[in-house]
Amino acid sequence: MTVLSAQNITKTYGGVTALADGSLNVEPGSVHALLGENGAGKSTMVKVLSGTIRPDSGTLTLDGSPVAFHSTADAVGHGVAVVSQELNLFPDLDIIANLFPLREPRRGPFLNRGAMVEAARPILSELGLNVDLRTLVRELSLGQRQLVEICRALLTKPRVLILDEPTSALDRDGSDRLLGILQVLRDRQVGVVFVSHILEEVMQLCDTITVLRDGRTVLSGADRANLEIDDIVSAMLGPRPEAVAAAEAAPRTVRSEIELNLRDVSVDDVLTGVNLQVHAGEIVGVTGLAGAGHLAVLELVAGLRRPTSGTVRLPGDRPVPRGLRRAIGAGVAVVSGDRRGRGLMLDQPIWQNIGQVRSVGLSRDGLVVRGGALRNRARGHVDRLRIRCRDVEQRVGLLSGGNQQKVVLAKWLDASPTVLLLDDPTRGVDVGAKAEIHDLIRTAADDGAVVLLASTDLEELTTACDRVLVFHRGRVVAHLSGSDLDQHTIVRISNTGNGN
Amino acid sequence: MTAQRQSDTDNKVEPARGWGQAASLTQAKLPVLAVRAGRGEATSVLIATLALVAFISILHPEFFRVGQLLDTLQSAVYVGLLACGMSYLLSMREIDLSVGSTFGLTVIATGVMMNEGLPAWPAAILGILLGGFLGLINALIVQFVGIPAIVATLATLSVFRGLTLALSDGKQVTGLPLESSFFTILGGKTLGVPTSVWVLIAVAVLLTLVLRFTPFGYRVRSIGSNPDAATFSGISIPKVRMQALVLIGLLAGLSGVLGLAFFTSGDPNIGTGFELSAIAAAIIGGTPLRGGSATVIGACLGAVLLSVVTSGLQYFNIPANWSAFATGGVILAAVALDSLVRRRRRRESDRLGL
Repeated sequence: MTVLSAQNITKTYGGVTALADGSLNVEPGSVHALLGENGAGKSTMVKVLSGTIRPDSGTLTLDGSPVAFHSTADAVGHGVAVVSQELNLFPDLDIIANLFPLREPRRGPFLNRGAMVEAARPILSELGLNVDLRTLVRELSLGQRQLVEICRALLTKPRVLILDEPTSALDRDGSDRLLGILQVLRDRQVGVVFVSHILEEVMQLCDTITVLRDGRTVLSGADRANLEIDDIVSAMLGPRPEAVAAAEAAPRTVRSEIELNLRDVSVDDVLTGVNLQVHAGEIVGVTGLAGAGHLAVLELVAGLRRPTSGTVRLPGDRPVPRGLRRAIGAGVAVVSGDRRGRGLMLDQPIWQNIGQVRSVGLSRDGLVVRGGALRNRARGHVDRLRIRCRDVEQRVGLLSGGNQQKVVLAKWLDASPTVLLLDDPTRGVDVGAKAEIHDLIRTAADDGAVVLLASTDLEELTTACDRVLVFHRGRVVAHLSGSDLDQHTIVRISNTGNGN
Repeated sequence: MTAQRQSDTDNKVEPARGWGQAASLTQAKLPVLAVRAGRGEATSVLIATLALVAFISILHPEFFRVGQLLDTLQSAVYVGLLACGMSYLLSMREIDLSVGSTFGLTVIATGVMMNEGLPAWPAAILGILLGGFLGLINALIVQFVGIPAIVATLATLSVFRGLTLALSDGKQVTGLPLESSFFTILGGKTLGVPTSVWVLIAVAVLLTLVLRFTPFGYRVRSIGSNPDAATFSGISIPKVRMQALVLIGLLAGLSGVLGLAFFTSGDPNIGTGFELSAIAAAIIGGTPLRGGSATVIGACLGAVLLSVVTSGLQYFNIPANWSAFATGGVILAAVALDSLVRRRRRRESDRLGL
């Protein structure tokens, strides 16, 4: 008895296939996990189910009869609701006002707050949220806000509820809270689609599991009781490749002196006893689930965080100065995957972006900034990094994603950093540019920079890094290199925290 | 030749751009090229100003006299200096509403210092420094109270004006040592042009160079273009904001001192509303409110345009009570014209996803 069924869904975005053959069946009163690596098609599937986008082909059936949702509101009308990962609440309104964003009960032109309270109270108490309904949402904890959001969805009397990444690993009692919520949903005979990448949690909470890989359903509605985490990892990543890659990865000649040194570093609630020594010329990957602490390591080196205990030393055995600006002055480069937000001035020409750190931020070239010199330097970088553009006068916003990211890299290389921090440096970049960027990172390392690379892209971690540290709940649980360094191992250890 | 190459490659996308013209800079040509670059950006306001002068002159030829035109320029100087600083602030997405009051306070304070027996020139220098100090106060409030500059300066707009009224007891400051060279030189003419106009020209050239060729100028525009990217490039927004607020304070001080030299007396209400005129002048001149770019020369020309409107209106038989209405109408027309000229540029911005 299936409520909602998606069969053979395909969706392409401008030639890129997001879903090739995706299928999913949702049963009432059951929790169905939807899993897959980044780019496997999870979010596209969610968008199709919730009416955000229309599939190119394939069928959606509700109670056995085909449907097509024209909008999210249409989907909600048919009983399919989504609770998304970024909470869509109005922080300055109270709980009641947040629960009825569109279909508020009215009495004439006025809101009927009494009817609103009457409708909401039983659901909220069932969910275990017992606070004054006039409390402003911004005064609630993250967990309470989530309950408000779920209550809002339940008020539309959904038959299918999609929970899109409802917890992060940071949120340690999130799983217990969810267990209660899911019980309420099961009792109400709601079919739940649970999108997550925290496999441990999925094993605890879900009844059936569907795995997408490269836009196809590779594991369809399997019973959780018959699966181990290893089975799911294999489904997500495909068959384990033969150890060819390991053989060719000859040990690199790494200089002996330790350049970046984290000794027994702890940050309250974020990191515990982290040791990390990186040599010049080495590319070290750090990874883990969201909130596992690997990004906090980059923040420590960038001066954005202070350790509660332990020491962080930059090349030359210097301490990390306080604050991002001073850290940059001390030779730290921060290449973010968020190039539009943190990386670039989109409305300015390439040469101004490339000169921004060395000549403007650090004013290393003295009190006069010479446009001609900046342009010449920018031309050098454009040639060396093979940035495809009309000329250095072109505005950065007009370049493709890969070329924009190369401009971000160029502006940091322009400042000759000694420590290169990369946070998802190839996010949303096409395959060719990605390989080129990896080569450039390797060149920077060979020139003597220390490189720390955080990434959500498993392939990037295994191909671009010399070794990878896996974080789990604030601790380093594994050092992977050589033949140990493969995608399966990274996913398994990230999820279980068990590095043998 | 450079311009030729530019027009070949860029005509399709950016008709009104002045950036590329500085491409082949050598240091010796810096000032000349700075002016040329500025003029390239400020083309539309220049055209609008000249068109308005021509329009008034055709209907009332007596307007087109050297003396009248110089008077018009002279009266543009005070708002013009403030507009130069305002273009810096707007291009980093900040604003200073207190400059009119800073101007008023320096006029009165400098006058009072002279009446207390301080020689004119040292008093004038102290007056300029007082302006910078008031800008520093604005910056410190923004920094340590943690409120936006628009709110902090809205408060100091009243505070500084209140100080002005208290200091002068609400009365004109008169009886100044008019025989001093301060009044004869700064309030008079040099080479047939009011000295204050020369000062404005010098300041505009200097600030154009600072904007184009110093790390500070690049930082100001970087912050306006993308504050997060600026922070992540090692630029300290609080520090640059403080420098910019002190700069506009110094300019307001300079403006006040020049005003005192010309008017030879100080009215405690002088400069009321100058902050809005300065903002209008900067915007008319072509400094966009969204930040990221600025044109100092344009801001000066914007002030000249406003001044042409005010003095031109006197030639038409517009009742005094309608002159504010007419001024507003002309400002609207100037901004609308500018917007039309820039429409192609904006279309490109849309493609950038801004």
